[in-house]
Amino acid sequence: MNIKEKGFFISITAISLLFGILPVANAMHIMEGYLPVGYCIAWGAICIPFLVVGYLSIKKTIAANRKSITLFAMAGAFVFVLSSLKIPSVTGSCSHMTGTGLGAILFGPAAVSILGIIVLIFQAILLAHGGLTTLGANTFSMAIAGPFVTYGIYKLCQLLKVNKYVGIFLAASIGDLFTYCVTSAELALAYPSATGGVLASALKFLAVFAPTQLPLAIIEGILTVVIIMGLETYAKPELTKIGFFGGNK
Amino acid sequence: MGEPILKIRDLHYAYGNGTPALNRIDADIYEGEKIAVIGSNGAGKSTFFLNANGVLTPDRGEISYRGTIINKKNLKELRKNIGIVFQDADNQIIASTVMAEVGFGPMNLKLPKEEVLRRVEEALTYMNILDYKDRPPHYLSGGEKKRVSIADIIAMKSEIIIFDEPTAGLDPLNTQMLEEVLDKLGSEGKTMLISTHDVDFVYRWAERAIVFSQGKIIADGTPLKIFQSEEILKKANLKRPTLMEVYDLLVEKHLLEDTKAYPTSTQAFKEMLGNM
Amino acid sequence: MSTIALKGEHWDGHTHGDGINHRHHKIRHKHGEGSSIDFYAYASNIRDWNPAFKVSLSMLTLVLSIVLNNPYVSLAVIVAMGYLTIIEGGLSIQAYLSILMIPISFILLGTITIGIDFSTQPIGQYNLHLGFFYVFTSLAKLKIMFFLMLKVFAAISAMEMMSLSTPSSEIISVMQRVHVPKLFTELMNLIYRYIFILIDVNIKMRNSANSRLGFCDIKTSWYTFGKIASNLLIVSFKKANAYYDAMEARCYDGDLIFLEEDKKVTTLQIAKAAVFVSFLMLLWGFTR
Repeated sequence: MNIKEKGFFISITAISLLFGILPVANAMHIMEGYLPVGYCIAWGAICIPFLVVGYLSIKKTIAANRKSITLFAMAGAFVFVLSSLKIPSVTGSCSHMTGTGLGAILFGPAAVSILGIIVLIFQAILLAHGGLTTLGANTFSMAIAGPFVTYGIYKLCQLLKVNKYVGIFLAASIGDLFTYCVTSAELALAYPSATGGVLASALKFLAVFAPTQLPLAIIEGILTVVIIMGLETYAKPELTKIGFFGGNK
Repeated sequence: MGEPILKIRDLHYAYGNGTPALNRIDADIYEGEKIAVIGSNGAGKSTFFLNANGVLTPDRGEISYRGTIINKKNLKELRKNIGIVFQDADNQIIASTVMAEVGFGPMNLKLPKEEVLRRVEEALTYMNILDYKDRPPHYLSGGEKKRVSIADIIAMKSEIIIFDEPTAGLDPLNTQMLEEVLDKLGSEGKTMLISTHDVDFVYRWAERAIVFSQGKIIADGTPLKIFQSEEILKKANLKRPTLMEVYDLLVEKHLLEDTKAYPTSTQAFKEMLGNM
Repeated sequence: MSTIALKGEHWDGHTHGDGINHRHHKIRHKHGEGSSIDFYAYASNIRDWNPAFKVSLSMLTLVLSIVLNNPYVSLAVIVAMGYLTIIEGGLSIQAYLSILMIPISFILLGTITIGIDFSTQPIGQYNLHLGFFYVFTSLAKLKIMFFLMLKVFAAISAMEMMSLSTPSSEIISVMQRVHVPKLFTELMNLIYRYIFILIDVNIKMRNSANSRLGFCDIKTSWYTFGKIASNLLIVSFKKANAYYDAMEARCYDGDLIFLEEDKKVTTLQIAKAAVFVSFLMLLWGFTR
């Protein structure tokens, strides 16, 4: 090992030690200022059709029943608060649910895209998680891609008559994993590796975030099941009442 | 007494699950009255208020405001003139600054902005919270939120103000503040309806009491009369005010002559004892 | 570092439930409350500046620091925004730094991931042989990493200038003025208010669960967490109904309109902002 190598090795060790101690950031928000301007615009543009569909679906529901506006708002606030709760953990690390998977199962993915972007704006403004220029990229990964995959798997499991709770677990955790993959891809597209291009870069990001994101996906799945079980015990009438949200049947 | 401001006839209301919450309610509210609405939890008081304000539409029966029967078209007239201060201020406060919150009602009345600002200022001064103008409700204490929720209704200048259990969750100091506000409003001739479980308060404040039990009005009269009727007290699960109990106790022990002239305040009681 | 964080948990084991106060956030305004950024926004000395002015300045600066992508511009932005937030706004340096540091783990992880690469050849100035391949980085890459971090902090400080001095309701009213769809801003207004109500409910439920040993071990903790979350959702549905009734009782008829105070923007403020923006452009022009 030459001197340069030694220095490099020491700094790597120091950095990895630092990560062991540092609290883990909320889910996987891409930070303010992290993406070059072209990517900010492109991701924002990709979100627009989904947001328009979500907006129209919410608008339709509210036009049919004006009272649902406070319900939608409460649902949005709920997703925000749920994603800000510290998940109990053994190691004392600070991890959070995304909550959008649960939202997609309960309210449908279209409504969640709008609620999701609002939650992301508030997370940026109130909590300094994520950012406004990276809003497009974050919305796509967390409020669109993840929820749609969750909802798709949830429906598929219903169709295949998989045990309901297994289905919910799979839907929520795979949705979470998908969000993590999409975020890694977004970062990799903006910062391709010099030697291996986008693919190598994506693998790098996947690897770096895996230790925090893989367990988190499992936890998200378990907690989503626990929450829905709780809702079924305490809130059968309320759940039937929100049937117009896409329901939980 | 003249014509009542609010006339309610044969009102029926049932919630979605079918159990009737209000059953054949008749009531007349006259100008300047100070009315206490009493009865156990779930007796129908809050449902009655929401019907009286027009938020809930009665299944049967009619409400007339100043001689006009209320229908879908003039519903706003009813809401404008009958304000409700809700029990939980957190379920009422909607805006993110005190100023915007108190302005919410007047803005909905489509008043010009200068008028709204004037009313907000006036209501905040009335409730002594002008300093909180730019503060967000989420950094206010329970008592402060209560004041804001009362200012909300004062700014609307409604003719009748309904207070739904206003003292619930307030500390003694804030309860006193609330009573001062009620006295002030009363001295200005405001018509008020207050639901409460505090019989001592009913006894000292109200001129009239309406007793609800299982969705029906079982008594309507002066507090003194109502608290003297064993039957009503038993039916509505009410206790007698402490002052009346003490009076009767003294009579029973022959320490006081039984004139049935119950004192309405500790002050009056003191004078009565002093005259002996 | 870890001891400090642990101590933080000890102080108020009962408040970390709100989760919004990050562990490395040692400054707290009030017991168990939500977002400290929100709290500082109301306390800021520049709160009565015109919100549209603050939001536009912040957004323009944010966009410029990304578009110009220039380390000198980034430095100038960091200094100027720090000045506005700390000197003009009156926020303590400690509080400001703790907020800038919230995303630090993502920044470090992300930037290092960009900075290092793998290769079968020992290339770059710095490399490390790991069996079959080399991990390497180069001076040029380190420079890129450093500049990227500068840019990220410039962007964050520009955004924080806005959020540490402008309450969300005012930001939403600016969005309304630039014709963001009405239903969207209405939902934002309601959600902003409800967030604090649900945080309150959550704290109460958490405390009561805690007092009954709901968090005694990890398995119980997860169950309690889930139950609190489902209860929170039920409570929020009930509140939604009560809320709507209360709004209707005050003559709400489908149009959510709030009273706003007019805050005037001065010519001097606009002139200063214009000078600052031109300075950034010139700086970029000369150092390109």
